Amino acid sequence: MNAIWTIAKKEYQLALRSVTSYIVLVLFLVISGTAFATTVFKIELAELRGIYSIIHLLFVFFIPAITMGSLAKERSSGTIELLSTLPIRLSEVVWGKILSAFLQVLTLLAFCLVYFGIIVVFGENIDYGAIILGFTGLVFAALAYISIGVFASSLPSNQVLAFVIALVISGLFYVVRYLLVLVPLSVLRYLQFFSFEYHLSSFMKGVLDIRDLLFFVAVTLIFAFLAEFNLQSKNMMQER
Amino acid sequence: MIEIKNLSRHFGSIKAVDEISFSISSGTITGFLGPNGAGKTTAMRMMVGYLQPSAGSIFLDGASIFADPIATSTRIGYLPEHNPLYDEMITQEILQYIADLRKMPRALFDQRLQYVVESCGLQDVLVQRVGTLSKGYRQRVGLAMAILHDPEILILDEPTSGLDPNQIIEIRELIRNLGTQKTVLLSSHIMQEVQALCDRVLIINKGKIIVDDEIGKLKDYFKDFQVLHLELEAENADFSEFMEYHPELEILSQTQEGEYFKLQIKVPAELDIKYDLARFVAENGWLIVSLYAQQKSLEEIFHNLTKEGKILSEPTVEPVLEDAEPGKETEMSIELQDKEDEGEKKL
Repeated sequence: MNAIWTIAKKEYQLALRSVTSYIVLVLFLVISGTAFATTVFKIELAELRGIYSIIHLLFVFFIPAITMGSLAKERSSGTIELLSTLPIRLSEVVWGKILSAFLQVLTLLAFCLVYFGIIVVFGENIDYGAIILGFTGLVFAALAYISIGVFASSLPSNQVLAFVIALVISGLFYVVRYLLVLVPLSVLRYLQFFSFEYHLSSFMKGVLDIRDLLFFVAVTLIFAFLAEFNLQSKNMMQER
Repeated sequence: MIEIKNLSRHFGSIKAVDEISFSISSGTITGFLGPNGAGKTTAMRMMVGYLQPSAGSIFLDGASIFADPIATSTRIGYLPEHNPLYDEMITQEILQYIADLRKMPRALFDQRLQYVVESCGLQDVLVQRVGTLSKGYRQRVGLAMAILHDPEILILDEPTSGLDPNQIIEIRELIRNLGTQKTVLLSSHIMQEVQALCDRVLIINKGKIIVDDEIGKLKDYFKDFQVLHLELEAENADFSEFMEYHPELEILSQTQEGEYFKLQIKVPAELDIKYDLARFVAENGWLIVSLYAQQKSLEEIFHNLTKEGKILSEPTVEPVLEDAEPGKETEMSIELQDKEDEGEKKL
């Protein structure tokens, strides 16, 4: 746990110093803010469901950008050799990277609390359950996307390639719901299980279904394990 | 005490390290010498547990390093070949980061930080970004990171590469100090470095160890003869009389350059004829300008050992010459030619 926290803290501190983080932050806030303003001020709805689904879409692009360097950069600069000869476990490296990306995403989401504040102050008939649970759902979805991103980053030593791979995998999980209309009913049940949107929908309605929560946790664990396994199989480290 | 048994590592069909075995006892500095691509880095990477060997085993005080890699890595300090560092971090931060990952207590870190900053000369760059440091300073930061946790075993892959001559002297001094209490294994392709630092030398070529001996004994591999260089203030000095007394000697060259007469004599290594020679010169009334015996340098030994993959299993008094015919005269002339070739290359 200690090593995970040390790695996460260092990564987060470095992210705070990098210009890229601020570009990501500004872009994220501009796009989500525009969407929020449209729903609230034009359509005059005191709800955040619309903006939540926009944020979900933004995750597909922004989270790969945040995670792309996590392991790929360690590989390309050779610092993985340094890490692997320290008394830490490989899983601690992977989880440290996940945690730091998670902290970065939470920082982005923290700014979105402004939208929540605006709704609370000016809105009427607010469904607090839907707003709070929807936010929780997004946090868990973010964790799953991050895990996918870190796994993608463990594959090549090129950051751009890592971004593309993460985008493709995350994109698949995202667009599955648009494929649903094309497939027969018998397949649909199995296919919709992989849709992030499907699992988020109950959160958005203000219903906490433990199965949806478990889905995101499972995706996170699976990809974190795959990332660890991938590093190991590349003989980067011993079985630590 | 590190023990390596039949260690091999293949990359596809390339045998980077081929069944090497050796052991390193505590409190010594061992030099790992070899041309580029000989397998030094691969062998070292396996010793620190970064690469898995294809075959063979590595023991640290009798226990395999793969049995408990985490315990092993607390005992080893490692400076990787290209010295990878986090460029965005500040020197002090990177040391703090390594200390945190090694779970060093705060008080111990403060104490060790002071030591490594002093011994590696990092005072001036402690608050500078690592990415902006010169190669020499980067190397020192890497070394500081390797010795931060006071390891028993230090594995340094080309520790002085990229340093200027003054820095090299400082770092060598540091390594020498460390070597008195710790086991140090350093790799290099620079002869003088190994000659200056190490108690023992391992020469590796094409994945195989070709020499494993104490540094002083290395010259025994080529102790068959030495060359005496003599310079006189005389005109056409005649040494035929002297040579008659010493039939085992051979004049390699004699030249007259202005008022100076230059002479090179090949002398069997066990023979000391300097006094005789000086007396002979004095009797003839010539003046000695210079007289020195040229020993084979480690450089030459290394060159001879590693060219064309010649493998020596044990010390021999025969010079390593690929095409040497039996019979002393041929050997000598070939050796001579080799030397001349080298001389021309240097010019």
